Amino acid sequence: MTRNGGKETDIQIAICGSAGDGTIAAGDILKRAMAKAGYKVIAFDVYPPEIRGFGKCISRVRVKSEQAFSLKPLSDVLISLDDSHAIPHVVEVKEFGAVIYEDTPVSMIPEGGHISGHLLSSHIPYGVPFRELSERVTSSARSRNITAVGYLAGLYGMPREVFYDVISDKFKTKPASLTRISIEAFDAAYVVGQDTFRLDEGFLNPPPNKARNGDLMMMSGNGAIARGCMDAGLDTFFGYPITPATTIMERLATELPAKGKRMLQTEDEISAISAAIGAAYAGARAATATSGPGFALMSEMMGLGVMAEVPVVIFVSQRGGPSTGMPTKTEQSDLNIAVFGSAGDGQRIVLAPTNVEGCYKCAGKAFEIAERYQTPVVVLLDLYLSNRYEAVELPANNPFKANCSKPTGKLKKNQPYHRFEITRDFISPRAIPGDKGFRHTVTGLEHDENGRPNDHVHQEMSHKRHEKLLPVARHPGITMSKRFGDKGKVDVAIIGWGSTFGEILEAMIAAREEGIRCAAMKVVLLSPLPLGPINALLGDARKVLVPELNYEGQFANLLTGATGRLVTKLNRVTGTPMHVQDILDEIRRLAGKKKGRQLAAE
Amino acid sequence: MSAENHIVIIGSGGAGSEAALTIRQRDPDCHITQITGSKLPFISRYELPQVFNGVSGWRELLAEPPEYYDKNQITVRRNSWVDHVDAKNKKVLLKHKEEVSYDKLLVASGGGGYLPEGLREFQPLMNGFGTYEQAVKVRQALPKKGHVIMLGGDMTGLDLARTLVAVGHRVSLVVGEQLFWPHEVTDDQRAKFVSVLEDMGIKVMIDKKVTAVKLGGRGKPARRVVFDGGGGIDGDVVMPFCGLMPSLNFMIGADVDIERGLLVNPELKTTNDSIWAAGDVCQIWSPEENSYLFYYGWHYIKEMGKIAAINMTGGKKKISTYQDDHLYINKQGEIDSPYWMYR
Repeated sequence: MTRNGGKETDIQIAICGSAGDGTIAAGDILKRAMAKAGYKVIAFDVYPPEIRGFGKCISRVRVKSEQAFSLKPLSDVLISLDDSHAIPHVVEVKEFGAVIYEDTPVSMIPEGGHISGHLLSSHIPYGVPFRELSERVTSSARSRNITAVGYLAGLYGMPREVFYDVISDKFKTKPASLTRISIEAFDAAYVVGQDTFRLDEGFLNPPPNKARNGDLMMMSGNGAIARGCMDAGLDTFFGYPITPATTIMERLATELPAKGKRMLQTEDEISAISAAIGAAYAGARAATATSGPGFALMSEMMGLGVMAEVPVVIFVSQRGGPSTGMPTKTEQSDLNIAVFGSAGDGQRIVLAPTNVEGCYKCAGKAFEIAERYQTPVVVLLDLYLSNRYEAVELPANNPFKANCSKPTGKLKKNQPYHRFEITRDFISPRAIPGDKGFRHTVTGLEHDENGRPNDHVHQEMSHKRHEKLLPVARHPGITMSKRFGDKGKVDVAIIGWGSTFGEILEAMIAAREEGIRCAAMKVVLLSPLPLGPINALLGDARKVLVPELNYEGQFANLLTGATGRLVTKLNRVTGTPMHVQDILDEIRRLAGKKKGRQLAAE
Repeated sequence: MSAENHIVIIGSGGAGSEAALTIRQRDPDCHITQITGSKLPFISRYELPQVFNGVSGWRELLAEPPEYYDKNQITVRRNSWVDHVDAKNKKVLLKHKEEVSYDKLLVASGGGGYLPEGLREFQPLMNGFGTYEQAVKVRQALPKKGHVIMLGGDMTGLDLARTLVAVGHRVSLVVGEQLFWPHEVTDDQRAKFVSVLEDMGIKVMIDKKVTAVKLGGRGKPARRVVFDGGGGIDGDVVMPFCGLMPSLNFMIGADVDIERGLLVNPELKTTNDSIWAAGDVCQIWSPEENSYLFYYGWHYIKEMGKIAAINMTGGKKKISTYQDDHLYINKQGEIDSPYWMYR
C-alpha cells in the first residue's frame, strides 16, 4: 500500500450512480473489505424512495486508521457510475482529490453531459472503461460497479484478498459462477488501477495492528439494533414497515425464528405497539420499531404502557417530517414526541445512541431498563444513524442481563399482592400473569396499588411513576452522558445528542487544535435528563452551543426548560447530516474567533 | 451549454494557454474551453527536468495554480481526447462520445515525440519525456548514479541531459540525425557543440547506428542498446529525443489544408474561416521563403498563441516569420540560442 510520510490514513470515497447501477452494493463491498483489512470505517448511503431505475444513490465510505466520528463534508474520491447524478457532487470533492468516471459510454452524450467537463481545476480525472472491462470479463455490463471498486482498489493499493472474501460472502447464496465472474471483473479493473499513474493526494497506509478483545464487525445502526435485541434475548417483535426503520424488522424476521422466537408483521403501527405491550405484559421481552409517522400513531398506546407500567421497547428512527415528510432524508425532529408524546403526564425513558456501537448497547440495555423501571423505553435513532455503517468491536461476552424486574419474593399466607405498590424506590415488585398467587389487575385508568380504578390517588401515583425513573441515569453498563475535551472552565460547551454528536466531536477537536478552550457532551439519556453532569458542564461554560437536525431546537428547548440556562441553537433541516464546518464556525464565533473562511482568506 | 460565443482551444500547452489568457483579456464575456489529454493543469515541458532536481510533486511545476483557471473562467477539460472535428457543423467530437460546439476553434495540440521508423518497434522499452508522469517514471527507473542512454539529441533531450549530469547520473548520447534539432548547424559548429557536451560530462557517441533496444541481461542494467555491426551499450533507461511530430490526426477531414502540419497564414488562420492554429502543430506561410515553415521555441510558441487569440477576437495581426535560431555558446560556456529556454 502507498505510504505517505507515515501520516494516518483518512480517505473518504463517494460512489454515485442511479438506482439499479449497483451503487450501494459497490459501497457495501468497499466498506466491508476495508473493515476486514483492519481499518476504522464509517459509511452512509443515500438512496431514493423510488423504485429501480430512478433516482440518485450515493454511498460514502470514510476509511481511517483511528476511530472516525463522522463523514467528511468533502470526499477524497468520487466515483461516478452515472454522470447525470454525479455531476452536482463534483463540488464535494476536495482540492487535488480524484474523480473516477466511465470514459467509454455506449452512446452519444449530450453536450455538457459528461462529468469530465465539470471538474474543478484542482481535481484529478481518471477515465476508466468500466463498461468495456465488465463486458470483456463477464460478457455483460452489469458488473460495472464491481469494476469501479476493483479500479479503486488497484489505484490505492488496497489488499485484494479482503475484497475476494467480501465478494464471495456477498454472493454466497447465488450461483457460484456469479462469485467467480465478479472476482474476475474486480481483478481486471484492479490491474488497470494498479497501472494507473496516481496524481491525486489521497493515500492509504497499512492499518494499525491493534489487539482486539471482541469481534470487529461492519454494522449499520439498524443492524446493531437487531444484534443488540438478539443478544438481549428479545422474545417477540411486532412491526409495520416504514423507512428508515424497516431493516430492523427485516433482520429480526430471519433471526428471531432461527432461535425459535417470533416476529409478526401487523396491519399497522397501532397494532404493533399494542401487541408488543401485550407480550411484555405477559412477561416476554418485546419490542417494535417505527419512524415518526408510525410513532405518532403509537402515542396513545405509549400512554397505556406508562400507566400500566409495562416494560416495552420502541425503536424510533427519525426522518424528515412532519407527516410523510422526507422518508429518505435524515432529521432529529421527533425528540418532542419521543419525550412528551401521549396524553397526560406520561414520562418515559428515552435513549439516543450517538454511533453504531451505541445502537448495540442501547438496544440491549433498553430491555434491562424497561424491566427495571417498568415503563416503555424509546430508543431514538435517525436515518443517518440507522443506515450508516461503522466498524465496531463488539464485546466478547454478552453484556446484557436477563430478567431485570424487581422480584416479588414470597408472599405470606393470605398476604395480598399489590402490583403497583409504592415502595421506597417507587418501583413495585413485578409479577407476570400466571405467577401463582400474584393475581392482579392492569388498567389504563388511574388506579391504586392494587390496580383498581381510583381517581383519588392520582397525585401519589403520578409521583410514583415519575420518581421511579430518576435513578436510571446510574443504570450500570451504559453511558448516559459523557464529557469530552477540556476540563474545568471553557469558552464554549457543545451539547448534542444522536447521530449529530460525531460531527460535534470532530468540530470540538478542530476547535481545540485552534486553541479554543471547549468541551463537548453527548447526552444519551434524553428523558429523564441526567441533570447532574449537564449542570456541571453548564457551570463551566461561558457559552453553550446545541447543534441538532431540527428547525425548532427541540433539545435546546428541553435543556433550557430543565436547567434555566439559555443556549445558542444551531439548527439545520436540509435532510443531510450536520456539517462539521458549520459547527466549527459557530464555536469560533461564540469564542470570539473569526470564521474559517475569514481565516483562510487571511 | 450554449454554443454562442464559444471559443474552443484544443491543447493546453504554451500556445493554447497563452491564447486562452489573451482571449479572456480581450473578451471578458466569451466562453473559453480548453481540451487536453493531460490529467494535470499546464506544466511546461521545459520544467520537467526539475523532477530530478528536488521537486517532489507536480504542484510545484504548474505554470499557474488551479484557481487561476477559475478566476479567468477558463474551462479546462482534462483527460479528454479529440476524435475528430466536424468543421461543417462547428463541433469537436471527443473520444468519450460527447460533442462540444464552437464558434471559433484554435488548434494548439502541439507535437508528440517523433520516433524514427527503425526504433518504433522498441518503443515499449524506451521512456518518453513529454509529461510529468513520464518524467517521474524515468526518475523511478533510475538508480543512484544511474545511466541514461539518449538516442537522437534534440534540444529537449540536451536540456534534460544537463540536469541529469548535474545531479550525478551518467548520460550517453547516441547521436542521430536530430542532434541539436530543431536547429540546423554546420559541420564545424556541430563539432564545436559536441565538444561542449563532452566537457559537460556527456558521453557522445557519433557514427553509431542503433539496430535494437533490448532488456538488460541478468545482473546488468535494465536496458541494452545494440549497434549496427555489433557491440552496444548498457543503461538503466533509454530515451529517444528525435524531435517532434505534430499531433493533428483528428484534423484529417476537417476542411483544413494539411502538409506536415496545419497550414496557416501569418495571421495564423487555417484555410477554414472558423479555425486557427498555433504552436508546434502548424506550418506558417513565410513570404520570404515562399513556403510553409515550422517555427519552434518557447517564446515563439507563446507569441503564436497570443497572435492567434488577437485575431480570433477581432484583431488583425501578423506574426513575424523571421526567427533568429542560431545556436551559440554563452558566457557560461553552455550551448544556447535566442529562443531556447534554459534555467
